[in-house]
Amino acid sequence: MSDPEKKIALRAVGLSKSFSIVGSSKLHVLDGVELELEETSSLSIRGDSGCGKTTLLNLLARLEPADNGTLYWGDKKIDASGKPNSQEASRRSKHIGVVYQSYYLIPELTVMENVLMSVRLSKLSMNDYKERALKLLEQMGVLDKRRQIPSKLSGGERQRVAIARALVNRPKVILADEPTGNLDERTGGEVMDLLLSTCSTEETGLVLVTHNPSFAKATQKSSVLKDGKLVYV
Amino acid sequence: MKSAWPFFLAWKQLFPSQRKVSFFSVLAIVGVALGVNVMIVVVAFMQGFQQKFRSDIIDAQGHARAVPLQRQIDWRNDIKRIESRVEVEKVSSYMQGHLLLQNRDYHAVPYSMGIEPGEKVGVLPLDDFLKKGFIPVQGYDSQDVTPLPTMELLEDDVVFITQQVANRLGVRAATVLQLNDANSSLAKGAVQVERIDPYVESDEWTIEFFNAQNYNLRNSLGSIDLNGTIQDPSVDLGWGFPKFKVKQGSRPFSSGDKFKFQTFRSSILEIYSPNMIEQAKSDEMAPPREVRVGGIFEVPWQGFHADALIGTRRFMEDMRGEVDACDGFFIKLEDKFFHDERKLGELCAKLEGMLEGNWRIIPWFVENAWFFDLLKFEEYLMVLIMIPIGLVAAFAIAIALMTTVLRKIREIGLLVAMGGTRISVGMIFCMQGFIIGALGALLGCCFALLFIRYRDFLMSFIVTRIAGEEGQAGVTQFYDFYSLDVPYPWESEQSLMTFLTFIIFAVLVSTIAGLLPAWRAARMNPAEALRSE
Repeated sequence: MSDPEKKIALRAVGLSKSFSIVGSSKLHVLDGVELELEETSSLSIRGDSGCGKTTLLNLLARLEPADNGTLYWGDKKIDASGKPNSQEASRRSKHIGVVYQSYYLIPELTVMENVLMSVRLSKLSMNDYKERALKLLEQMGVLDKRRQIPSKLSGGERQRVAIARALVNRPKVILADEPTGNLDERTGGEVMDLLLSTCSTEETGLVLVTHNPSFAKATQKSSVLKDGKLVYV
Repeated sequence: MKSAWPFFLAWKQLFPSQRKVSFFSVLAIVGVALGVNVMIVVVAFMQGFQQKFRSDIIDAQGHARAVPLQRQIDWRNDIKRIESRVEVEKVSSYMQGHLLLQNRDYHAVPYSMGIEPGEKVGVLPLDDFLKKGFIPVQGYDSQDVTPLPTMELLEDDVVFITQQVANRLGVRAATVLQLNDANSSLAKGAVQVERIDPYVESDEWTIEFFNAQNYNLRNSLGSIDLNGTIQDPSVDLGWGFPKFKVKQGSRPFSSGDKFKFQTFRSSILEIYSPNMIEQAKSDEMAPPREVRVGGIFEVPWQGFHADALIGTRRFMEDMRGEVDACDGFFIKLEDKFFHDERKLGELCAKLEGMLEGNWRIIPWFVENAWFFDLLKFEEYLMVLIMIPIGLVAAFAIAIALMTTVLRKIREIGLLVAMGGTRISVGMIFCMQGFIIGALGALLGCCFALLFIRYRDFLMSFIVTRIAGEEGQAGVTQFYDFYSLDVPYPWESEQSLMTFLTFIIFAVLVSTIAGLLPAWRAARMNPAEALRSE
């Protein structure tokens, strides 16, 4: 049950998604997924490989249309089956931050420029966010690397930069898709601790897709995606 | 700053942070620069040739030529009427025809033109033509000190001929050589020959000093033997004798200082005219007219007759057996008509109207339209050949950018996931094309400016490598690139337009080359892009 005093950051109602496979048959990946995330709360999603975890995150971020369902980004209701449009892209840049397993830092930019790329995309004032970017890099322990390019960083450092980039715009929700998947256990643990603590400090909701049960337990709510449905545990 | 992030990212992909240079960027920019450089240089040189020919033609015949449409015309009055217009600087009448020239057993039938003598500055810069045609005699123990002939030498029994005619007939103008073996002392001073006219006889002249002040001037024929002082430096004995001028040097002359000169008289030509043939038919045999060669001239415009003679108008009247005849005028106008052909055409039409249809006024560009059409055709052909080269460069840029798109699929997905619109993501690649085009065009302009600045050195280097030193002289006979006026863009509107045209062309083509990769990036499904391996 949700706390009535806390605002809903992200809500999905009846999200379904299927993919065409050979011939006319369809693979139903998501089947009426229900999800509700309050601001400052965190939710983990586990599931077998190929069960649709990443697809669910893509639908929540409106990177691709669902077959059915409705999304709420804060108070904004979105028809999830509609084709993503440029207004949603603009809103996404301010409302949602993304963290991926492969970091996806832009190799031609320095660490600082990578973090501020979110600000540029949101068309926010760079001067207003430079201090915040530096603060986040300090929190992530990579402030001294801010003038370096991503290829000079370790995997853990790159993921910390990616987390700082996701948070710099003060989004309401972070969608993290196996953020520790490419890291060793110790570094993964450190990064996860940082992600959880920073989301808590920044009062940002977190949807975490992970295979690691201990990381899943660290979130406020845990769920498993099974047979196209989200089962809360 | 709310910067346009596609431009920022496009710039960074071409010039990444923490790296001095991107190999792809340098190659692409230099490629565009070389293309722009070649196109600008070729067109600028073609325009330079056009300018030179335009200048040469106007020198050779004025801005316009008037041709009579009636036989009986009061042409002197018509000249006054034309000259009364403020736009007209000068009008020179002429007569023309063909005459038979003979020197011993050699003959030539040059185009012959009679002009008004005594015109200090006529429509045609004949003094310049005489200067161009002057070839000094190369002596073993002497040097040619003949002063350059001028229009002042032209009179009824003197003609100027082109080099071709002079060579065919084996004639030359009066010449004076200074002999080196005399006891002359250049450190003390010099004796100059200020004038040698066509009536000077072949002779030997000596100037010998008695002391620092006084000298004796004598000739070998014995007709002149006089004393002079350096207080009266010019010795003018009149027409038929060389005019000397004594110049004192840093040290005074001393007794025995001697300057010796050898003069050679100008060749005498025998001239026959068609009128003489008519007289012969009536059993009136007239002797040939004897004239002296006053100078050799060369008209830089190759379209002018290679075999030509210039005499006085009265000489031509005599040869044709006519009185007060005129075959036309050369008209020189204000400088503003040099470039403005439309205005020149309008003025010529006005002049025709003013002269009540008795004259046809032909502007230079109409009379030589065939030549300029040919030059224009050549210029367009060059551009047509070069445009595909530009397009090949554009394809190369498009392919390189397309490769970049394929290499950056997941980054493209990420940018959309971070809030970028698909069009903005596509714009990154379009902007890269724009940046490559703009920087390439600027660099190409710099190359072109350097080429124009050092064109003589570069052209000489290229031509001598291809044709050798001797071949270079042959090439410059037809394409005298050393005297080409290739203006910089800040000097000429036409040059500025050339530079701007090719800058815009390069930027447009490069930007368009980026459109295909941009379209490919924009239609990419971000979710699939993020999933791609």
